Amino acid sequence: MNPSNNSNSLMTVVWILVAFVLLVVGGLIIAEATPLVLPPAASAEAVQVDELFKILMALGGSIWLLVQGAVIYSVIRFRARPGDDSDGASIHGNSTLEFVWTLIPSITVVILSIISFQVWVNITTAQDNAQVVETRGARFLWSFSYDIPGETQRVNSPVLHTWVGQPVVLNLKTADVNHAFWVPSMRIKQDLLAGRSTEARFTPILAGEYPVVCAELCGSGHGDMHSSIVVHEDEASFLDWFDEEAFVILNPPDDPAEGGQLLMTAGGVAGLYACAGCHTLEALGWDAIVAPNLENVADRAATRVPGMEVERYLLRSLFFPGEFLVPGYDNLMPQHQYEDPEEANYMPLDEALNIVAYLCTLTASGESACNVDMLPDMMTNMGMG
Amino acid sequence: MATITATPGLGSRTTEGAAIRAADLLRWSLDHKVIGLQYMASSLFFFIVGGTMAMLIRWELLTPALDLMADGTQYNALMTIHGSVMIFLWIIPMMAGFGNYLVPLMLGAKDMAFPWLNAFAFWLIPPAGVLMIAGWLVGPPEAGWTSYPPLSTLFSPDGQTMWAMSLHLLGVSSILGAINFVVTIRNMRPAGMTIWKMPLFVWAVLATAIIQVLATPFLTGGLTLLILDRTAGTSFFDPGSGGDVLLWQNVFWFYSHPAVYIMILPGFGMVSEVLAVHARKPVFGYRAIGLSSMSIALVGFTVWAHHMFTSLQPALRIPFMITSMIIAVPTGIKIFSWLGTIWGGKIRFTAAMLFALGFITLFVFGGIGGIFLAAVPVDIHLHDTYFVVGHFHFVLFGGSVFLIFAGIYHWFPKMTGRRMNERLGQLHFVTTYIGTFFTFVPQHIAGALGLPRRVAMYDPAFTNINTVISLAAFLLGISSLIFMYNILRSLSHGERVGGNPWRGLTLEWATTSPPPPWNFRGDPVPFDDPYGYGSDESGPYLDAVERRFPAPEEAAGA
Repeated sequence: MNPSNNSNSLMTVVWILVAFVLLVVGGLIIAEATPLVLPPAASAEAVQVDELFKILMALGGSIWLLVQGAVIYSVIRFRARPGDDSDGASIHGNSTLEFVWTLIPSITVVILSIISFQVWVNITTAQDNAQVVETRGARFLWSFSYDIPGETQRVNSPVLHTWVGQPVVLNLKTADVNHAFWVPSMRIKQDLLAGRSTEARFTPILAGEYPVVCAELCGSGHGDMHSSIVVHEDEASFLDWFDEEAFVILNPPDDPAEGGQLLMTAGGVAGLYACAGCHTLEALGWDAIVAPNLENVADRAATRVPGMEVERYLLRSLFFPGEFLVPGYDNLMPQHQYEDPEEANYMPLDEALNIVAYLCTLTASGESACNVDMLPDMMTNMGMG
Repeated sequence: MATITATPGLGSRTTEGAAIRAADLLRWSLDHKVIGLQYMASSLFFFIVGGTMAMLIRWELLTPALDLMADGTQYNALMTIHGSVMIFLWIIPMMAGFGNYLVPLMLGAKDMAFPWLNAFAFWLIPPAGVLMIAGWLVGPPEAGWTSYPPLSTLFSPDGQTMWAMSLHLLGVSSILGAINFVVTIRNMRPAGMTIWKMPLFVWAVLATAIIQVLATPFLTGGLTLLILDRTAGTSFFDPGSGGDVLLWQNVFWFYSHPAVYIMILPGFGMVSEVLAVHARKPVFGYRAIGLSSMSIALVGFTVWAHHMFTSLQPALRIPFMITSMIIAVPTGIKIFSWLGTIWGGKIRFTAAMLFALGFITLFVFGGIGGIFLAAVPVDIHLHDTYFVVGHFHFVLFGGSVFLIFAGIYHWFPKMTGRRMNERLGQLHFVTTYIGTFFTFVPQHIAGALGLPRRVAMYDPAFTNINTVISLAAFLLGISSLIFMYNILRSLSHGERVGGNPWRGLTLEWATTSPPPPWNFRGDPVPFDDPYGYGSDESGPYLDAVERRFPAPEEAAGA
């Protein structure tokens, strides 16, 4: 009796050890899948987050294998054989076992909390010499505004440019509803909250272009609200890119229509206007579908309201977008105002004039549909300016 | 509770022994069994409604561009109503239905403590359902089931107000039902049944009811503020006038995280019953399971802000990570205790048992995903992505819905006197399991790779994985049709059974199927140990129950 009992308990210990080794090895194998389920790690923070992710994969993988194994073993080993109507053993519990399976998970979650806290501290510590980027979310467009080293010129753009090794701090503000600024490859995400300013930071380590995604439901164009971050190889190649941009910005065209086009792509005194978030206009690379299509808009503007000139229709649409809704579209456009630079949706009158001049050139024939010289008078007549 | 049983004229229970008919479900009744079935029938209706919406969502997401929907607003409305219907009109009322039907029976009581209140709580649901669907037609709410301001206040049409009113009614219904459960369980246990001898389902309903009473007022309160902001010109959530958008997030999640446990705890109770009965073995660690329900209920109140890791003030994120990690411990205790229950049993592979076992294997995956989401640095990446969608569907579909299925297969014979078709049940299980796995596992991967949730248009790089998800989701749709067919067919064609077809020891089996109007003839005496399977006394007790409540003749001959 005794020897067989001893060999039974010895076998139990051996089986437990074998199972333990299998679970650990299985967990480690599962953890190797980490790079397959995450985008490339393009920031210093991402590397640390991925390490934690990997630990969770290994641990979670082991637990998953343990439970699956126990269920599969049980349904095979403890299935009722045909004709067996008897009950199982009348066992109500085992205090030691229950203590063990309370203690081990408790210790595990404490360790996980500590590791997570360390990673959290590392990825949120402020870096010196960070590039400060004013980031604005407006339905349904991202825009970035930042200084250039050694230049007085500020850049407004729908795409953020930076370079490898340069820490970036984003000050996030929304023009309307809540959004969330997410760069999957950098592993950063931060909500933009109406009425508050929030912050996110990362340090790119890999050159390339990475998607920026809105991760907080913001309305009809939410799925289309994306941008990108271009990480240049180094500061020199970043400045090369800037020189091309700066030339255009520093030498604004005299023609109002060309000036309007530049305003719509590079922004004005109030930053970048969010037109591209909702409108389609192939010439500028816009493809959003929330708002009316702007292709040849000046042709349609001539016929929309009987008796109203193209210029007046377009101008009123900038400042009173709810006045003439195109059938099938809701009143979603920000109502611009030209009086207070501190308030939301500011658009100075001279910029509005240029934008209208540009919109007037969007015709099938390519000829401007307006008499641009008339615009300042028209504004005065409308009680503007 | 002699005062209740002696009251004449309560409800329409004059015809002793008459089975409940479909027409009874449309009438005002004070019988907890009728009310329980009313909850279940209406929930199943909304399951079909919400499921149809899920199919439309997956159809839309087959391609990266808009195809089924005219614009993003239509899609947002669809997913808002899908989520709201599935949570507030399917899972929560379905669990309330099980509670209503089973708790008095398990306690050997003749009804709930407050029958009129019970009926009133149910009848708030149909108008709430009408309001929600009508709001969709008026001008759809498109802010998601979480409805964060200012999108849900300054930027949404009138349907959003009706959505809020609908949820408000459902919240009141939930609170009233929960008060009834607490009072019933506290006061109406039979002689000899201490709280340590209550069936674990009753434990779970008690824990759930405590959460509902304490948490749901925060939902209804928050919705009151939202409705006032929308209709009365207040600005609780409007930062332009001194309000705060984070206030809503805090109040909403202070209810809605505990609501996760409202949706799963009753299921935890059901699986404990199903596993013990069909593995023919006592529940392993009865006290640990009962107490872990209570500790989940308690700790569940301290974790809400883990839904806000990307909006919460950074300094508050770590404390909520720690509480969220802690809640894994009582959940783990339950899973290990269920494994201990089947270990060494004599497992019968009934449809109910298949779903209970399937639940364990799926739920553990959902729980592990939860640990990823609790760890702040990882959650920062995963928050509001398809990883989250996959995670909560794993615990809600692989968890709550699997347990609802298990519960229906298990208690259908008690409710109708007929067994559901086991063959169809097996087919239902296999299709549901495969569908669940291949719908919601790839969602985790898509989210981690960079797919945000709540989008009608997405990066074409995710086309293939979305196609897999949609096809698997369509399989889930088919599996649900098999289930509905099985229910309808078994109502008239199912094999007739006696009082105790599964040889269960809890009190609901110690009466006819379906039970008579006042549940029991005479006062039933509970078996001393509700999970005493395998004990020497249980065999003779079960034989006696079987002799007293035998299967009808036609079934005995078959």
